[in-house]
Amino acid sequence: MDYSILQVLLIFIVTFIVAIDQFSFLESLYQPIVTGLVIGLILGDVQTGLVVGGTYQLMTIGNMPVGGAQPPNAVIGGIMATVLAITLDLEPTAAVATAIPFSILGQYAVTLIFSLMSPMMTVADNYAHEANTKGIERINYLAMGLLGLIFGIIVTLFFIGGAAFGAQVVAVIPEWLMSGLGAAGGMMRYVGFAILMKVMLSKDLWGFLLAGFGLATIIMASPALSGPALIILAFIGFAIAYWDFQIQTKFKTSAVSSGEGGEEDGI
Amino acid sequence: MAYNIPETYKDLTPAEQLDDKTLNKMVWRSLFLQASFNYERMQSGGWLYGILPGLKKIHKDKDDLAASMSHNLEFFNTHPFLVTFVMGIVLSMEQNKADIPTIRAVRVAAMGPLGGIGDALFWFTLVPITAGITSNMAINGNIAAPFIFLLIFNIAQFAVRIFLMKWSYKLGTNAIGILTENAKEFTRAASILGIFVVGALISVYGATKLDVQIPNGTTNEVRQVTTIVASEQDVSKYDEFLYKTNDDGALTDEFQDGAGVTVLDSGDYEVIFNQYQEKEVFVDIQEILDGILPQAIPLMITVMLYFLLTKRGWTPLKCIGLILVIGLIGSGFGVWPSIWP
Repeated sequence: MDYSILQVLLIFIVTFIVAIDQFSFLESLYQPIVTGLVIGLILGDVQTGLVVGGTYQLMTIGNMPVGGAQPPNAVIGGIMATVLAITLDLEPTAAVATAIPFSILGQYAVTLIFSLMSPMMTVADNYAHEANTKGIERINYLAMGLLGLIFGIIVTLFFIGGAAFGAQVVAVIPEWLMSGLGAAGGMMRYVGFAILMKVMLSKDLWGFLLAGFGLATIIMASPALSGPALIILAFIGFAIAYWDFQIQTKFKTSAVSSGEGGEEDGI
Repeated sequence: MAYNIPETYKDLTPAEQLDDKTLNKMVWRSLFLQASFNYERMQSGGWLYGILPGLKKIHKDKDDLAASMSHNLEFFNTHPFLVTFVMGIVLSMEQNKADIPTIRAVRVAAMGPLGGIGDALFWFTLVPITAGITSNMAINGNIAAPFIFLLIFNIAQFAVRIFLMKWSYKLGTNAIGILTENAKEFTRAASILGIFVVGALISVYGATKLDVQIPNGTTNEVRQVTTIVASEQDVSKYDEFLYKTNDDGALTDEFQDGAGVTVLDSGDYEVIFNQYQEKEVFVDIQEILDGILPQAIPLMITVMLYFLLTKRGWTPLKCIGLILVIGLIGSGFGVWPSIWP
């Protein structure tokens, strides 16, 4: 399929902006659910853009930049998944899985920028010693521009290349590979869940994981509740968490007061 | 060039209170906390960029400004959405010209606990819930979904940023005490909510099913046949289906189960009998698993990945590689049918 210069340019600009947005600015424009719609709009297939964006978003839930960790990059992944789905007519799930290599490339690009900016801090130090506020501002703008540029170039190259050669490549890919990629794409979200568990789950909290799982399974058994299931579950989870907070703080204050011989804990 | 950061500022008279305009400007700049993120100082460049408007107003003496900028360019890392809380405290201390080592200690103390709280609030609670609901809307083709997501997320983000900036600046150093007093309990409660939601997500979004059918012999399937014939001779064609056989193999007068002949009003004969067909039987593994525990496979895979991440020290990338291999191998053997709902 042929695409106009304008579309290539728009893809570059969108990538440039959302690449910066993944760390700075609104930190929400880069989410696949948003980029899916925007890329779909540029390529003239809003419906596919929405579906792919939503599908990719589900996969990246939990796969967030938690604690400075670098998950496979949702910016390049989300954009490329939409581009692939529209230009090559791939199934949304297959497109999401095919975009994984690109998202890993994005992860490398981020690592590269974060490493490159480390020595720049010496320059920043010198600006600070001279009270050069303009210099500090310039370094920040430069870093953002660099990040946007690298991402923009990667995506634009693959967009042009993908539109030209991608179709032939996809025709060669056997059926089992595509269905396998689709299956793997559906399982990627478990990695995100496992990472969340790694950050939050201490030994004494296992029960809450199982409680959430069990209640969700019950609620999902009723088709009418499958839509609002997560809101209902959040209510229940909040009740448990809030109750725990009250008990824990009460324990602490009663421990303090009993240490002083106080008899007013009233339990 | 050796530069030593002094212990105290030259000008020790407290500066004027920062006006709302400057505070709002810093809230805006706080969006770019991670602009020059790097592995050495992490967010320090963006942090300094964020508080510069305030520092310029506070430190009229150029040497003081240089000292303040220099110590604020030290290692800094906190949660991007909660950074204005640290900003407010540090600025109130800068404004009162506190000792530089004190400001530094408070800055480090304040930035630490925020990481877990912010992750729990935003990445573990707000984003999974809003993104989860809106992605399902998007998959169903609802064009409003991305906008709803952006709206909810950013209203929450700006409310938190603006509120924390004003609140912590007003409270100054006391604010740290209020939050850190119950920080451990707060983080624990937030983790409980988070982990509860993760458990729910595994069940709600787990969509991996097995498509393994194990052959389990054959069975006779009964099919009822009803025909209408015109004469008694025609009925006798069906004798072998209608009547039981005796031990010698000869037909008896007794009807088989479910068989029968009725004379209709039109004079035709309605013949009803059962035909038996051999059919292969399969055991559906997914059906058996659902009988034990629905969504057992998503739970098992997630827990397995969790142990690989924690006990084996696997990177997320390695886990994704494993998932790809499982997916491809499983697909080669035809194990995965409908992965997506």
